[in-house]
Amino acid sequence: METLQSLAYGFSIFLQPTNLLYCFFGVLLGTLVGVLPGLGAGAAISLLLPTVFHAPPVGSMIMLAGICYGAMYGGSTTSILVNIPGEVASVVSTFDGYQMARQGRAGPALGIAAFGSFIAGSFGVIGLMLFAPTLANFALRFGPPEYFSLAVMSLTLVTYVSKGSIIRSLMMACTGLILSAVGMDPITSKTRFTFGLSALMDGFEIVYVAMGLFGLSEVLINLGQSLKKDTLKTKIGNLLPTRQDWKDSALPIARGTVLGFFLGILPGFGTAITTFVSYAVEKRFSKHPEKFGTGVIEGVAGPEASNNSASSGTFIPLLSLGIPVNVSTSILLGALMILGLQPGPLLISSKPDLFWGLVASMYIGNVMLVILNLPLIGVWVQVLRVPYSILSVLIILFCEVGAYSVGNSVDDVLLMNIFGLFGYLVKRYKFEGAPFILALVLGPMFENSLRRALMMSDGSPAIFFSRPLSAVFLVIALFFLISPLFTRERIGKKAIEMQEE
Amino acid sequence: MRELKVGSVFLLFSLFIIYESLRLGLGTLKKPGSGFLTFCAALLLSVFSIALISRGWRLRESVKPFPRKVILALGILILYSLFMDILGFILSTFLMVGIFFRLAQKRPWWTVAGMSALVTFLAYLVFGILLRVYFPRGFLGM
Repeated sequence: METLQSLAYGFSIFLQPTNLLYCFFGVLLGTLVGVLPGLGAGAAISLLLPTVFHAPPVGSMIMLAGICYGAMYGGSTTSILVNIPGEVASVVSTFDGYQMARQGRAGPALGIAAFGSFIAGSFGVIGLMLFAPTLANFALRFGPPEYFSLAVMSLTLVTYVSKGSIIRSLMMACTGLILSAVGMDPITSKTRFTFGLSALMDGFEIVYVAMGLFGLSEVLINLGQSLKKDTLKTKIGNLLPTRQDWKDSALPIARGTVLGFFLGILPGFGTAITTFVSYAVEKRFSKHPEKFGTGVIEGVAGPEASNNSASSGTFIPLLSLGIPVNVSTSILLGALMILGLQPGPLLISSKPDLFWGLVASMYIGNVMLVILNLPLIGVWVQVLRVPYSILSVLIILFCEVGAYSVGNSVDDVLLMNIFGLFGYLVKRYKFEGAPFILALVLGPMFENSLRRALMMSDGSPAIFFSRPLSAVFLVIALFFLISPLFTRERIGKKAIEMQEE
Repeated sequence: MRELKVGSVFLLFSLFIIYESLRLGLGTLKKPGSGFLTFCAALLLSVFSIALISRGWRLRESVKPFPRKVILALGILILYSLFMDILGFILSTFLMVGIFFRLAQKRPWWTVAGMSALVTFLAYLVFGILLRVYFPRGFLGM
């Protein structure tokens, strides 16, 4: 009952015209970046991060969240129609979705992707609404040792599921932790690693770091490369799936929804790996696994549902614990901090308008997305015709001006360019940006809780193992850290490799 | 070779951080100091860097040359951030956008100038007028 009252309050916040507009703009932009290859949700949120300085807190969070789940819808369109995944989370949809399109069944593939996404997205929001406040209440018992161990577990899991070698990902996490210490020491108020530069006094701002690392570097990588585009040869036809399509897709959508939601909560899995796991699960459950890859609707329905519910799932640890689980939520955590909000278990009770407004926006946002994605599908296909040579220049300009607008400072622009170079090198030398950005935003909490826990225990590290919850988090982290040494194979390695391909 | 180079850069970086952390003070376990976390992280980073170097020593992969376009693009962007104060937002953005349009695809100069002027105008309209960002005016006062 209390939940329903809170939800009604959320709707009263969300239905204010400005918030509706922010939501529409967010999902529209999410769909757009989902459709465009070479620009992910992380990059889009980074590009729009400066708006949090100019927009009201609830409105800007509604918009940034809209980009996150909106990108999941848009990504499938190009995967199915032109065999180009707009998002990593939509790579799997090319396997059967594109084959369906080649057989003249593009309509039902797009239809089931959109309806499956809508169903999963809606269930995901219900899950978020029910789980997040419960988890936040539970987390009120957490002290510094639990927070430290939780941060260690999150970082380890993100490192574990990253592409490429674990050593490289751990190196990125260490670098992120080191850079998070630049600026003022939170306990002694002493300045560190600033080398007399006033621009570094407050530490590295997430805005220009994220813009450089995920926005500018993306353009630098693609510079000079022409993205191959297939012209659409098939007619889209009727978008409504047949009764048989629904019968075949019902269970995959249900399984994808549940699987995606729970994997989404776990750090590192996010939306991309979840789709590969869902595809593998559907293949195993199928009566005709040999047909997967030739255009079966289950291969589209399951993964498309899973990435949408995972997208809602990732908000649970963010809003109830203040722990990000992937790149997008790391940047959202940064946005919350910029807004002066303290992410953690008290966020939901101290800022109910933000949490419940966000939940309400997700319900309506999902409806907006179905409307945007089905009848307007032709428009999105046209978007692919915009030459990358023009788009890339616009992204660069957006990054430069966006970084400047944060503090009206040219230093921020310079720092953004430096992080752009860093992001480019990271990708060129096969490192991963996710552990870095996660460590950078988690760094202050990581350090604070470590130092406070050691002070609490009079310098005994045993405190991390003597408190049961903290011990559980550390044991999980340790398991994922050392298991590759014994098994020589990471759990879900196949999914990681497929993602790499 | 690639791993060797990257590993060495990270090793140097971690050694520098270790030195700086020691200078800041590690404190004790009872009362960890300002350099405590960075020292631990840099120590771990140095161990991983050595592991990467040793792997690079064994593999000796060849390194692809650095694309010229990327160096050029970064050079332009660094110059843009350094000269924005002197040239002013409008002029520096017009030049930067124009160079990038030309770099991305060969087009006639008047097309490039026209596109660049339009994009600069739109950027100024959105950020300068609608979002009220105060841009540097430069020596031309615009």
